[in-house]
Amino acid sequence: MKNLSYKTASAGKHLVLILTCLIFVFPVYWMVISSFEGLGEIFSANMLPKDFTFDNYIYAFNNMPIGRMMLTSLIIAAALSVLQLTTGILAAYALSRFNFRGKGIITILFSLTWLIPVQSIMIPNYVTIIQMGLKENLLAVILPYAASAFAILNLMQSFNAFPKALIEASKMDGDGELKTLSRIVLPNLKAPLSSLGILLFINAWNEYMWPRLVMTKLESAPIQIGLRSFVGSDVNMWGSLMAATTISCLPIFVIYILLQKQVVDSFVKWGIK
Amino acid sequence: MDYSAAPGLTGAIPAVKTGVKRKLNVTELFTVKSLRVLKPYMFLLPALLILGFWLYKPLINTFYYSFTKWTMLPGTKPEPVGFANYLKLFGSKDFGTAVKNTGFYIVMLLPFSVVIPLILANVTNSMKGRMKNVYRALFFFPMIMAGVSTATIFRWLLNPGTGLVNILLNKTGIIDGSISFFTQEETAKWAILLITGWKMIGFSTVIFSAALTGTDKSYYEAASLDGSRKVRKFFDFTVPLISPTILFMVMMSILFASQWTFAYIDILTNGGPYGTSTNIYYEMYKYGFSSMNVGMSSAAANLFLAVFGVIAAVLTTVSKKLAFYDN
Repeated sequence: MKNLSYKTASAGKHLVLILTCLIFVFPVYWMVISSFEGLGEIFSANMLPKDFTFDNYIYAFNNMPIGRMMLTSLIIAAALSVLQLTTGILAAYALSRFNFRGKGIITILFSLTWLIPVQSIMIPNYVTIIQMGLKENLLAVILPYAASAFAILNLMQSFNAFPKALIEASKMDGDGELKTLSRIVLPNLKAPLSSLGILLFINAWNEYMWPRLVMTKLESAPIQIGLRSFVGSDVNMWGSLMAATTISCLPIFVIYILLQKQVVDSFVKWGIK
Repeated sequence: MDYSAAPGLTGAIPAVKTGVKRKLNVTELFTVKSLRVLKPYMFLLPALLILGFWLYKPLINTFYYSFTKWTMLPGTKPEPVGFANYLKLFGSKDFGTAVKNTGFYIVMLLPFSVVIPLILANVTNSMKGRMKNVYRALFFFPMIMAGVSTATIFRWLLNPGTGLVNILLNKTGIIDGSISFFTQEETAKWAILLITGWKMIGFSTVIFSAALTGTDKSYYEAASLDGSRKVRKFFDFTVPLISPTILFMVMMSILFASQWTFAYIDILTNGGPYGTSTNIYYEMYKYGFSSMNVGMSSAAANLFLAVFGVIAAVLTTVSKKLAFYDN
């Protein structure tokens, strides 16, 4: 009897949780479904499209420079994650490996950056980009974010946990610091490095506020900014807009489906930094 | 790195007659010993240069701009005006509304960033096996979505007349007609709040789950307890145990509520109607890039950097104390 009531309670719990999951997943499901519905159906409440059509995707590709915008976003996200990893690895290695004057202050400067919102620095940086003649240039988005304090602090934790004996052994072999770093430390930290890389890539892919200021033209815009200009224009092309939105989410979805655990873990670290 | 070439320099340079003294200093600088001193700074240089130039320098610029009048137009220069921008800010009705709304978003977001996630994390924590991870992966899903995609999807779902929500509300007879969620005063900021909440719940849930996993399992062998005892256990054991994490999420939520809502305000309501859904960051953006009023934007930025800085300092101190007692 007790067992039965326990089972009912458990089933009830799962039911509530499944309903909760629906709230989180349904909007995304609706986006995908709408992107495959034709004009006759898209304004209905059908939970499954009766006539499956690719028209929206064809329309989207013909009327928006989606390919180019995706490529722009890909270049930006790849460049930013590689640069942030590189500058992060170098800085974090110095902070965890050496003792030197100013270490404390430098660490504090890195840790305080998360308090600085983009709104506090957007105007001077915008002016700098204009003066450099970089508006609408990929570098306008890449240069200011080529280093990430979060990446540095995150990597510092990984490096601090790395066995000192291995580094010392490499030094005994006469290796310089860079060689020790690339031959001994990095190959042994593939997992945390790739987790961090994924997180940096997703964040760069989703970035909105800063690109919105310096990459405004449709020819140069990354996908998020391009998409935004189509949401703004008051046309009722919901099907093709949903198709474009689905495409813009694809890289992130693929990463999440393949590397779900790493993604979640790296976001947790991001939160607990 | 190979420094064996450095001593070679020492021999080469004294041959130059003029400015021998300075050159000697330079050569001293390049001896192996001083290179060892310089090494950490060389590793730090790229990050320091980038963060210094694009984060800390502009912070100082913004501080200066807040005491000037400037439109950013080519050929014009910032003119000093003292505290005029700050005074204007305190007298501005628009800014008052933005501050009030910011308070609304901060307070109303707490259920989504703390209360609901705490419950979800606690419920899934006592589960065993695969389903636990499946649930968490699904809860977390909105977090990885871009703000623009999220805004686009909800604009479609909440579209007046043809959006699913309006269709369903009409079919079930709850309303007759159509709600323009983003352009009506009564609904705009609630819509922004719910969308932001939808995106944040999973993130906090995963953070709380991680904290719960780190605590002693024996507290949670409560599967056989009835409902009311479970609730007591939750408040007597779970909440105090992970209070540092709870406080941390409260702090994140307070500090970042205005960031998290920014994209939705910008894409869905433009702060309207009549400023009812705006927040301080959106006003700063509008001051700077719509009204071209650099001074006002900078003054507001500094003001809230200070306010949030104080909040962060206080909460971090409290959090450290809690963590201390926890140990």
